[in-house]
Amino acid sequence: MNLRNPKLLLALPAIALIFVFMILPITNMIEMSFRTPGTSEPFGADYTAMHYDRILSDGYYWGVLLRSLLTAGAVTLLCLVVSYPIAWHMSKARGMKAVVLYACIASPLMTGVLVRNFGWMIAAALNGPLNEVLLGLGIIERPLRLLFTQGLVILALVHVFVPFMVLPINNALRNISPTLIEASSSMGASRREVFRDIILPLSFPGIYPGMILVYVLAVAAYVTPALLGGQMVSYMPTLIIGELTGTFQWPFGSALAIVLSVSTILVVALFTGLTARLMERAKA
Amino acid sequence: MSGTATFAHQRPVNLGFGLLIVLLYVFLMAPLVMIVGASFTGGLLIEFPPQGLSLRWYLEFFQRQDLVDGLLMSLRIGAITAVVTMTVAMMAALAGQAVSGRLAGWFQLGMTLPLLVPELLTAVGLLFFLYKIELGKTVAGLQMGHILMSFPYAYVSIAAAMRQVPQSLEEASQSLGATGWQTFRLVILPLVMPGLAMAGIFAFINSFDLYTISLLLKPLGGNTLPLALFDFLTYEFKPTAAAAATLSILLSILGVALVQRLVGLQRAF
Repeated sequence: MNLRNPKLLLALPAIALIFVFMILPITNMIEMSFRTPGTSEPFGADYTAMHYDRILSDGYYWGVLLRSLLTAGAVTLLCLVVSYPIAWHMSKARGMKAVVLYACIASPLMTGVLVRNFGWMIAAALNGPLNEVLLGLGIIERPLRLLFTQGLVILALVHVFVPFMVLPINNALRNISPTLIEASSSMGASRREVFRDIILPLSFPGIYPGMILVYVLAVAAYVTPALLGGQMVSYMPTLIIGELTGTFQWPFGSALAIVLSVSTILVVALFTGLTARLMERAKA
Repeated sequence: MSGTATFAHQRPVNLGFGLLIVLLYVFLMAPLVMIVGASFTGGLLIEFPPQGLSLRWYLEFFQRQDLVDGLLMSLRIGAITAVVTMTVAMMAALAGQAVSGRLAGWFQLGMTLPLLVPELLTAVGLLFFLYKIELGKTVAGLQMGHILMSFPYAYVSIAAAMRQVPQSLEEASQSLGATGWQTFRLVILPLVMPGLAMAGIFAFINSFDLYTISLLLKPLGGNTLPLALFDFLTYEFKPTAAAAATLSILLSILGVALVQRLVGLQRAF
């Protein structure tokens, strides 16, 4: 590579954009989390670790953090369960059928989160379609109050993130050579064995990044809990935005955001370690 | 497919799988269908299936100053975002060609960073930072947030289009004596045009839908359409909201159709 290539200079505006409006601000937020609370301004002049102390010594914040992390975990697993069959089905489609299926994935992806959550509000009304279906199937006897429940938040979040998981898994499945599958079935492997020993491990390069992306984004999702979770259940993002825009506690809000980010990174690291060990064992 | 004959005896399994697939696609499309349905109701409530058919809620939408102002602001910010990100991402993608080996992966990662870091964190960081550089609560600050968040989509589209352009064409053009600018304008630009247009569409639609960043950076007295819609939904739960949301769905379907025409959905996603 030639570092003196004049073409490289063309990346400067993009690098400046990301550095000035993203890296600097996030670094700045870390500093903000150590500021003292402000009196006339949203933050004070001195430095302190009191915000972290307050969060980590209060069971309330631990509870909200745990709820956020667990909810995102449930969303990620459900996303995987929903996405895999769709990705599988898509990877087999050709021609016009493939176009229609891609459009079914792309349209929700390109429609805003708020709009899609609003659709679930309509669905979850007391005499709305979701209750009708449950009544019709005989699963429930009288309409349930679905709005402002944790279940609806999870359902809506799964809907928001399914395309993020379908697309990488679909790409991984498309890259599996059909000859490999033919070879193993001609050597006597059953369909189940082919799936377990060949297709599943080879789709892992799509599953893994899909799961990480969905988890990281789901932990920090704000709109869905704010719109569909109501006042009863708090998640970290609603708490953080409340501190920043409601009570203007910038240092405390920043500390909450950083606690959330650090715990997310820890979960991702744990997951990566576990899957690496699992893959090792699968190879052996 | 050679597999059809071998798997034919396992039809019951396939039928069950087919049903599952149909249900999953219903799950994906249902919220959108319900909003569109509810927007045409003749009744006073947001409900699906709708009561009768009418366009009254669309009329009401265009008479609501707060929602129309939100729409206009979102359109304006989205248009500026599209133009700026197309330009900056085109330049970055040209530079990206000169990066090779291990660095290429890092370059790609850096360019898509705003997509990988949750919007909430970027929004919180930007809130303080814009305040510090005295751009807090201004349209300019909000605009920068939108450009940042939409940039990765534009970059990914253009970089993918650039990879399709054979390097030999560029070399041929240069050996025939064209300057760098001439090669770009006469050879590369026409070839990546569809990818560039797609970048603009993705950037525009992403900007149009951003919520968290708009909430934290919103200028005094200004609202984007999603913000106005959220407020509307909290205080007046009327079908006007379904009409507004339908317009947003229409925009994304238009985007999907355009992308299909330009480069094909399979190559875009």
